[in-house]
Amino acid sequence: MTDPLKLYRFLLKLYPARFREEYGTPLEQQFSDEYREAGGGLARLTVWMRTLRDLAISIPLELGRELRQDLRYSVRIYSRRPGMTFLAVAAMALGIGATTGVFSVVNALLLRSLPFRAPERMVQLGVPFVPPETPPAFHAWRRHSDYLEDAAMYSQTEMNLSGAAGSARVKVSETSSNFFSALGREPEIGRSFATDEDVNGKNGVAVISYGLWQQFFGGDPRALGSTIHLNSLPLTVVGIAPPGLDYPAKTAVWTPSVFNLARIPKSGVVWRETFGRLKPGLTLTRAESMFDADREHLSPGVLKQEGVDRVKLIPLREQLAGPVRRASLVLLGAVSFVLLIACANVANLLLTRITERRKELALRASLGASRARLAQQLITESVLLTGLAAAAGMLVAHWAARLATAAQPAQLTTQNYTILDWRVLGFAVGLAVLTGFVFGVLPASLIGRLQPTEDLVRAPSDGSNSRVRRLRSALVALQVALTLVLLGGSIVMGRSFSKMLGADLGYRTDHVITMNVSLAGTRYDKPELRTQYYHDALDRLRKVPGVEAAGGIDALPLATNAFMGIDAELDSSPKAEFSCVMWATTDYFRTMRTAIIAGRDFTSKDQQGAARVAIVNEEFARDAGGSQAVLGHRVKSIFGGSESGVTIVGIAHTVHYHAGPADTPMPILFLPPDQNPYPFMTLVARVHGKTEAYLPIARDAIQSVDRQVPVFDVKTLDQRLAENLARPRFYTTAVLFFGVFGLLLAVIGVYGVASYSILQRTHELGVRIAIGASAQRMRWMLLRQSLLPVSVGMVVGVAGAFGLGQFLQHLLDTAQRVDALTCAIAAAALAAIASLAVWSATQRILRLDPMQVLRAE
Amino acid sequence: MPRKDELTVQDLLPLAPVTFHMLLLLSEGERHGYALKREMAKQTKGKLNPGPGVLYGSINKMLEQGLIVESEERPASHLDDERRRYYRITPLGRRVAQAEAMRMRQLVEMAEANLGLPEPA
Repeated sequence: MTDPLKLYRFLLKLYPARFREEYGTPLEQQFSDEYREAGGGLARLTVWMRTLRDLAISIPLELGRELRQDLRYSVRIYSRRPGMTFLAVAAMALGIGATTGVFSVVNALLLRSLPFRAPERMVQLGVPFVPPETPPAFHAWRRHSDYLEDAAMYSQTEMNLSGAAGSARVKVSETSSNFFSALGREPEIGRSFATDEDVNGKNGVAVISYGLWQQFFGGDPRALGSTIHLNSLPLTVVGIAPPGLDYPAKTAVWTPSVFNLARIPKSGVVWRETFGRLKPGLTLTRAESMFDADREHLSPGVLKQEGVDRVKLIPLREQLAGPVRRASLVLLGAVSFVLLIACANVANLLLTRITERRKELALRASLGASRARLAQQLITESVLLTGLAAAAGMLVAHWAARLATAAQPAQLTTQNYTILDWRVLGFAVGLAVLTGFVFGVLPASLIGRLQPTEDLVRAPSDGSNSRVRRLRSALVALQVALTLVLLGGSIVMGRSFSKMLGADLGYRTDHVITMNVSLAGTRYDKPELRTQYYHDALDRLRKVPGVEAAGGIDALPLATNAFMGIDAELDSSPKAEFSCVMWATTDYFRTMRTAIIAGRDFTSKDQQGAARVAIVNEEFARDAGGSQAVLGHRVKSIFGGSESGVTIVGIAHTVHYHAGPADTPMPILFLPPDQNPYPFMTLVARVHGKTEAYLPIARDAIQSVDRQVPVFDVKTLDQRLAENLARPRFYTTAVLFFGVFGLLLAVIGVYGVASYSILQRTHELGVRIAIGASAQRMRWMLLRQSLLPVSVGMVVGVAGAFGLGQFLQHLLDTAQRVDALTCAIAAAALAAIASLAVWSATQRILRLDPMQVLRAE
Repeated sequence: MPRKDELTVQDLLPLAPVTFHMLLLLSEGERHGYALKREMAKQTKGKLNPGPGVLYGSINKMLEQGLIVESEERPASHLDDERRRYYRITPLGRRVAQAEAMRMRQLVEMAEANLGLPEPA
């Protein structure tokens, strides 16, 4: 049997150090007395029960009492050095706050559970997979699938919503009838779609989102059964989705018409997507091979036709996190570097404090305080510091999360970046406690070397001094290395971004206003009516004083993600050219300042009934064999019908549809809308003077043509460009900020070490100067010595920066390679600033009076 | 909160029952921790029977408040166990115990006036 006293002694370790040291012996004594007197059997069990109760009551009491004492003492210590305390807290607050803020993004996108049943098994079926497109065939396919438990199909578009409560432009998902059951979420109020409601004629029903119900109906339950209009088509509301459910991508209305997309008149390109839930126990790889076989069975040869290698099953979480997933992880990496640099800095500051307090600690040790007791005090001090920093960091985190929300809104409402989430808060508290504990332990480890009597009467020994010095130099080298890696990354991203800003997009974004009009579901259902409407709208726009030119296009650069493609057969070539098709009006190119580099622009004569013409872009012309091969030649048929084809009359300068190096220019064939007017158009106008001032005037001018036609997304082209660049700008700014902040912290670290070293060596320096060394020589010597750890850090940092650059290139399409020049710039900047810091720290040598130093000795 | 050296007798009242009992016992003479506990349990018929943690926690607090001090004097060597620590009441401890007793007397008087008290058996 275990010795009861041994067990009790072990339990005594739970008391705080001071109490244990003070009363450990009498406690043991009393326990052993009671145990002995109890005799045996039941009485001894009673003693144990009483002892355990006693421990449970007294341990927290004593812990609380000593913590209060230590905290009071720590506050006194810190208030003696308010400047240092502020610096340490601010550095840590920024470090912890920024890391927590970025973690909240990662948490929302990658860690937090999605609001669906068994979300980890949910997958998106990659395009170009096409499941059967009639209700019976689709439902039979999903029911008999050997790898999917369930699957649903949807197609998302923006539509005009109108009802008794007003009108709005909302995202609508046309779905299969089992959409909600496949997600595993049922409407909060009302019902989801009945099994046969995706059949034509029965699909006049809709489920609306909780948010729309609140905004549009004021949360009135009578919304159920009421009628709403989507692009003028009436639908009956049968259900209200649960709060937070807005899948896919902020959907406000779901209606089961995915098998009959023509039912609701709409504009823009539409396509169907399918998601499903894998059968339990099936791995993704296994499911993918089954999916591949299924796809080949359903649509043989489609991959070859589309020029795709393979079709994938994409886990839904990955799909929702999409392009920001990797970038967020890069950001988390960068911000962790900043935290590490801040940590190294604070460790350095605390080391200085501990050396300064050596005498005080030695005194306390000689008065009987044990190592454990002093270590407990030091750990409390650092945990207090990081606790304060974490509290202040929460504000920084809140701000960082808000910035991230603006730059990269989450796909689902439930993925909003919040810092009031147990995981994020736990992360922050964990960071604070961990860093606090590490900083407490690091200085506390030095106490082991404390020799009370010697340290009280003498300066600390050379051995312990050099140990501290080595530790501090190592910390500086670590800071420099991390900073260099960060700076390298920042410079790379900054250069990529400025290249992106300076890139020729193929049009000018300044002084252009843009607005969308949609004729879908309006009375303009015939081509000639649409043509007339566009003519009238552009006429009104051109008459606005200050408007220089105005035109329209169905797919505006910076605003379009989906394009219509065709295989264009030229009479000059036997081979069909893949090309996008767009409808652009007269003056569109002039308004956008897109040069027509050969041939002519569209004119008012290119109307319905006139010879059918087209303009292509340079990319198209290059693919087809140069301008000679296209200009004046005919594209045989645009949509494969019996139409007569179009003649290419001009070549336009190629434009980039998205800002950034990821954008590869597409071959485009432009048609005049007069010849086949499209129900959706973005109108653009080039104006003189302040661009924003024209937005309301232009909207009113267009609405005056017909109040029933919705005019929306009224923005300047510069605003659209800024929105397009928001994400890269956010990443670049964040990494640049982290780089500069890291640099600042590293410089503070280098300066601190240099000035501390001078302080420690005042006597030696005084003696050297007294025997004839010049102060300037001393300064050079110190500069050399201080820059040694900086150089070591630089060597490691350069290697790290190269490695990081390659890693970044894999992760971010905007990142460029880290080259020698980037490293040289970063290293030179760091070396120059570090030298300046050391040089200014050595200034006090000039004021050093050797006689005074020697007298003090 | 007043600092330790500024604590007045009134600041320390009311006392915890264990503290009051220990002060009363120490007013009779010096005792070590375990003796205090045993005497207390005996006097209160086991109602106050603190475990080692609570007992030394209270002693620690009383030492900090200046109500007791550790005694230098030890019993004769054949009676002494050198691991034991002996405590002695201070003048402040005595005044505080008196003030606590006065407070209790007032309570008893109030109870007598309001409720009426039976004669002790």
